[in-house]
Amino acid sequence: MQENFIKATAFAALLSASAAVGLTGAAQADSIKIGINVPQTGFAAADGTSALIGAQLAAEQANANGGVNGKNVELVVYDDQASPKSAVPIATKLVEQDEVKIAISGSYSGATRAAAGVFQEAGVPYISAFAVHPEITRSGDYVFRTSFVGEVQGRAGAKLIGESLGKKKVTLITLKNDFGQSLANGFKEAAEQFGIEIISEYEYSIKDRQFGPIVAKVKSDAPDAIYASGYFFTAGPLVSQLRSGGIDVPVIGQEGYDSQKFIEIAGGASEGVIITTSLDRDSDSPEAKDFIAAFEEKAGYKADMVAASGHTAMKVAIAALREAGSEDPKAIRDAIAGLTLEASTGTISFNGLGEVRKDVQVQVVKDGNWHRHSIISDPDLLAPPEK
Amino acid sequence: MLAFELLLQGLVQGSIYALIAVGLTLVYGLLRILHVAHAGLFTLGGYIGVIVTNATGSLLLALLVAMPAMGLLGIGIYRTCYQPLLSRPPYVALIASIGLFIMMEELFRLIFGPYGLSFTAPPLQDTVAVFGVNLKEAELATMIGAVVLIGGLALLTLRTRIGTASRATVTDPKMAEAFGVNIGRIRDINFFVGSALAAAAGVMVALLNNLVEPTMGSVPSYKALAIIVLGGLGDLRGTLIAALALGVIEAYGTIYLGNLLDRDAIAFAFLIAVLMLRPQGLFGRA
Amino acid sequence: MAYEITLLTAMGIAVIFALSLNLITGFCGQISLGHAAFYGIGAYCAAMITKSGLPFPLALAAGFLLAGMIGVVVGLASLRVRHDFLAITTMGVGFLFLGIVRQQDFLGGEMGLSGIPSSGLSKPAFMALVLIIAAAVTAFSLYLKRSWMGYVFDSVADDEDTARMLGIDVARYKLAAFAMGTALAGLAGGLYAHNIRFIDPDSFGFVESITVLAMVVVGGIGSVWGVILAAAVLSVLPLWLQFISDYKLLLYGALLFTVMRFSPNGMAGMVAALKGRSKSTAPGGKA
Repeated sequence: MQENFIKATAFAALLSASAAVGLTGAAQADSIKIGINVPQTGFAAADGTSALIGAQLAAEQANANGGVNGKNVELVVYDDQASPKSAVPIATKLVEQDEVKIAISGSYSGATRAAAGVFQEAGVPYISAFAVHPEITRSGDYVFRTSFVGEVQGRAGAKLIGESLGKKKVTLITLKNDFGQSLANGFKEAAEQFGIEIISEYEYSIKDRQFGPIVAKVKSDAPDAIYASGYFFTAGPLVSQLRSGGIDVPVIGQEGYDSQKFIEIAGGASEGVIITTSLDRDSDSPEAKDFIAAFEEKAGYKADMVAASGHTAMKVAIAALREAGSEDPKAIRDAIAGLTLEASTGTISFNGLGEVRKDVQVQVVKDGNWHRHSIISDPDLLAPPEK
Repeated sequence: MLAFELLLQGLVQGSIYALIAVGLTLVYGLLRILHVAHAGLFTLGGYIGVIVTNATGSLLLALLVAMPAMGLLGIGIYRTCYQPLLSRPPYVALIASIGLFIMMEELFRLIFGPYGLSFTAPPLQDTVAVFGVNLKEAELATMIGAVVLIGGLALLTLRTRIGTASRATVTDPKMAEAFGVNIGRIRDINFFVGSALAAAAGVMVALLNNLVEPTMGSVPSYKALAIIVLGGLGDLRGTLIAALALGVIEAYGTIYLGNLLDRDAIAFAFLIAVLMLRPQGLFGRA
Repeated sequence: MAYEITLLTAMGIAVIFALSLNLITGFCGQISLGHAAFYGIGAYCAAMITKSGLPFPLALAAGFLLAGMIGVVVGLASLRVRHDFLAITTMGVGFLFLGIVRQQDFLGGEMGLSGIPSSGLSKPAFMALVLIIAAAVTAFSLYLKRSWMGYVFDSVADDEDTARMLGIDVARYKLAAFAMGTALAGLAGGLYAHNIRFIDPDSFGFVESITVLAMVVVGGIGSVWGVILAAAVLSVLPLWLQFISDYKLLLYGALLFTVMRFSPNGMAGMVAALKGRSKSTAPGGKA
């Protein structure tokens, strides 16, 4: 009897579940829906929040300027917790129930990679704002990316160290995930070209905040420069511990560092740290200036790379909708592919695979703020993969 | 020289592990509960440490606020969450504890924001030379703090009436009760002391990283469990040695085995190897 | 319909995975905090096989077998430890699995495995396959529970030493539970890999092990229907709760805590209590 009752409850729950999900998401006629999956809870919530605010800002700006094709842009937001497992149902829901015309990923690689397959299959254009995994755009011709693949940025890092800074003996400290791995791959690929000798390499996990052993070993390696991948929450403690361990050679990072929070965590140790990224704080371009000011006003903290990427991806989506002049997915896709756009992260265009072509911004910490160091514009070196 | 530096770094990490795990083992020894939410108190201790220090400029005051506050919260958690579950199979309390820990992490994120907090003027950041090795003052303070706190605790359990009562309760709760030990009070005290130590560890980690994040407790939540198992579950001395040993093994492992296995895997490979040879842990009684 | 199909597929896979752990933890009383490793072994194994061009059914079978074989090895090791030591040992197995996979280039390392071929089935057909397998595993669980082996499992779970005194070869039955449970987890993993078609080490980590254990315990340890209900609900709860996005995980934690705190026998216990037919194990504490 008891078993039967539970059995009945289980079936009832299953049935009502499938019924309930069918009832949500009636489309509004006077707006154009753009989907976005971002991590709002869990370990990646900080980046997800920034990316979402950036995207919302772009949507508000577009609506204030008369919307798109006479309609307002409406964001449909789902929290994917940066997990591939959640991303697939969310992508399916965006496509089928919310009937979004185009979607954006403000999430990490795993979730973006998994969702990209769903959007490709459904023929809905999908733009990855800052996920680095090379396989994302290989999902098909409806998938684009507005940030650099890790390899490209790794190559830029090699050029920065070997050529601009003229340092030849380099130690790699690599974050053990897809981001760090692809950066390291790109760096190694280009190292020889710039006369760089990689004298040692260490790996750490995204959960690590204590780098004492690595610092001790790096000190005995005595490199000319350190190329360390990471996010602000790992790079902050890392740089601070490198400096207090008595290592004063240049530390070169990348866009994962790109947050005011990095400077806050590392404090004085952050001075002089150089990174390759997408947002130029000292840019003369009105796009970047406007974004930096508007973001800080909306969010209450300083803009970072992730925010600029969310903003850029959204801008691309809106520009493509305007350009296409219709809501036909094929027309929107073609519009993205043919786009050239001024955005907060530079002048954007896409190659045949849907990878972005733009310059690499090199930023340095000076007096507690990010400032322009230089710009790397080397179309050959920075050429994203074509297939 | 490098070997010595790695040893020191391992001991710093080990001291943190020890402060967290000792509290956990106090709880385990008495109640046989794998108290995952302990790591939540560690995190909250870190938050209080940063907030109070930023407000008053005094790290000492921050410790004096964080430790008793977490101690009291620990008692609260025991009374409301675990006490009613004591007669249940241990996994019931374990899952309840995991649920509690998830809630705590999410509350920290909602209240303090996803980016975490840092000291505006982080104290103890200068370096000092110890036998020719540069150490941050905060690292030194962590080691000294662990020695003082855990040493004090050991004296307390060996030399005072409460300590004797506590040890008696661990050995045989019914007998202890028959001899007039107030078991409820002993449990409260253990939760208080254990949680206060976790708070101290949280403040020290906040100092070392200059960062407290909502998810700061996720690694300690499982690694501290491994340590108390390694130390023989409920054994104070074993836990201390296991914590320091694990810190040192991880320090060497990161450098010399880093290309084979990550830090967690090294720690657990060691744990499994030990348990296969000594199923009752390094110092547990068979 | 595609969204409902996606959800039901996810639920079905979660049910298979949760029932697989229920064999070990629910029936035989052996707690595991590393069950996701076997889910992962099945997923990686199956994905590698279809990636090399071999057919999907073969991949599922291989994932099932490999996970089961490794499960027996781990089970053998686990015989040496008991109770909380076992919990931590299995947790260690989970971390070791992750650590090893992360370093294997042929498994994609940190980058995960992309481009896993389609199962060749349409989405509804794949869902049907998952649900049929889930139904088969349910039937098997129910059969097992009432079989001789089920009673022996019960006695091992109840009190290992007494069971041994009664002449039961405890080690053999524990191994059998481990073999069956891990093999079925591998099967679920193979299905998962061909459903999401992208796998990475983090998808099979500690959090996943905890999630599946929570399904078993929240459902009501050992209760087949309770576990199915919990697996179905908990697997899609984060998706249903999208409208309260910011408080989603908070609510999930609160649910785990509340169920355990106020109904330690899980959902099954709750239903029984509602019907006033509680099996009346002594109520804990002073509640």
